[in-house]
Amino acid sequence: MASTRVLVKRRKAVRNIKKITRTMELIATARFKKAMDRASEAEAYTRKIAELVTDLSATAENVSHPLLKKHDEIKNEVLLVLGSNRGLCGGYNAGILREAMLALKRIGEQKITPHLELSGKRPINFFRFAGIKAEQVYTQFEDKPTFAEVEPIADRYIKGYMDGTIDRVEVAYMKFMSASTQKPVIETLLPLDVKTTTAGKGPTTRVAESRKKTVEYEFAPSASDILTQLLPESFKVRLFKCFLDAAVSEQIARRVTMKQATENANDMIKALTQEYNRARQAGITKEILEIVSGADALS
Amino acid sequence: MAGKEIHCMIVTPERALLDVKADFVSVPLYDGELGVLPGRAPMIGRLGYGELRIRKGSTTQYLYVDGGFLQVRDDTVTVLTSRAMFDYHITPDAVRQSMEAAQAALKKASGTEAQETHRAAQDKARAQLRIAAKKKS
Repeated sequence: MASTRVLVKRRKAVRNIKKITRTMELIATARFKKAMDRASEAEAYTRKIAELVTDLSATAENVSHPLLKKHDEIKNEVLLVLGSNRGLCGGYNAGILREAMLALKRIGEQKITPHLELSGKRPINFFRFAGIKAEQVYTQFEDKPTFAEVEPIADRYIKGYMDGTIDRVEVAYMKFMSASTQKPVIETLLPLDVKTTTAGKGPTTRVAESRKKTVEYEFAPSASDILTQLLPESFKVRLFKCFLDAAVSEQIARRVTMKQATENANDMIKALTQEYNRARQAGITKEILEIVSGADALS
Repeated sequence: MAGKEIHCMIVTPERALLDVKADFVSVPLYDGELGVLPGRAPMIGRLGYGELRIRKGSTTQYLYVDGGFLQVRDDTVTVLTSRAMFDYHITPDAVRQSMEAAQAALKKASGTEAQETHRAAQDKARAQLRIAAKKKS
């Protein structure tokens, strides 16, 4: 039987841990709400850009743009992995890294040179441990990625793609499906696909599309001119959305994990309290027995 | 029916900045200003940088936008821009500094491409200053 003092100590420790996990859960909840608001505010822009792309590509038939063209031979591929800077968020990073490793394996089999780019300390550490070199690492993206921060990265990809130094860009991140489901995915951002560009999140986009088809627009300058400007923008927005999704998903993952941890701590406290009470009672019983037997021996 | 007012939306990648009703909207297109009144035919245009005016009654709001796209449709003006600022958010001192930096860089820059970037930066700063100055008068 464990001594009561040890049990009390352990219970105290668990209680303290519970306090921490509970606080972290609350913080993650607040951050998640903020990140979610940002993501939904950004959605308007994404939707509008997608709408414009559809409208324009309907008018300017058979557009050719270097960002749309598939390169004949794929030799260099950029794989951008979006993870988190901090841990304690359950399977969030593990899921992304698993996808990323699978993608790397596939890239290797196709004899393509991978260019690994990582965001977040967790993926950086993981790949350092795995002995895979990353070409670019970012740690500045926390729960509030800004467009101004993402834009230079997007610009670099666009330039690389136009130059032919990059033949494909893929992003591994946690896609936000709903508040209860997120999925680690690999998405191909370049070459741009007009169809996927327009197929945004949720049913609202599709309704808007079918409704818009009939409008005859005036263009200033010509439709194809605008499209050339619009496509890079559309790519930037998609990349930005990946970052936003990742931020939201990370906070959700952390909240869920911390909630679980708090619940586990509660269970543990219960179990420890029970054990402590038993131990205490056993001690009392033992003492009474000793006293009684001592008294019996005297009489 | 062409309404008496237009619906003006300004959207940046990070958030929907503005969503108001207006009588008249003037936007900086890539080659000059374009005014939009209710009942305008649908159009899509490319924006340059400069001043965006939204008039409602006797009040006018001034904004600075930095490139982007314009969509007019059913008396709805949608401005998609990577950067938009209200006139009262512009800090003239900071802008002046960046303008001076651009000017200095322009003098040193060699090659047309570099010169173009710096000249654009300088012009953008100037446009912001103009808008900021308007607020005071």
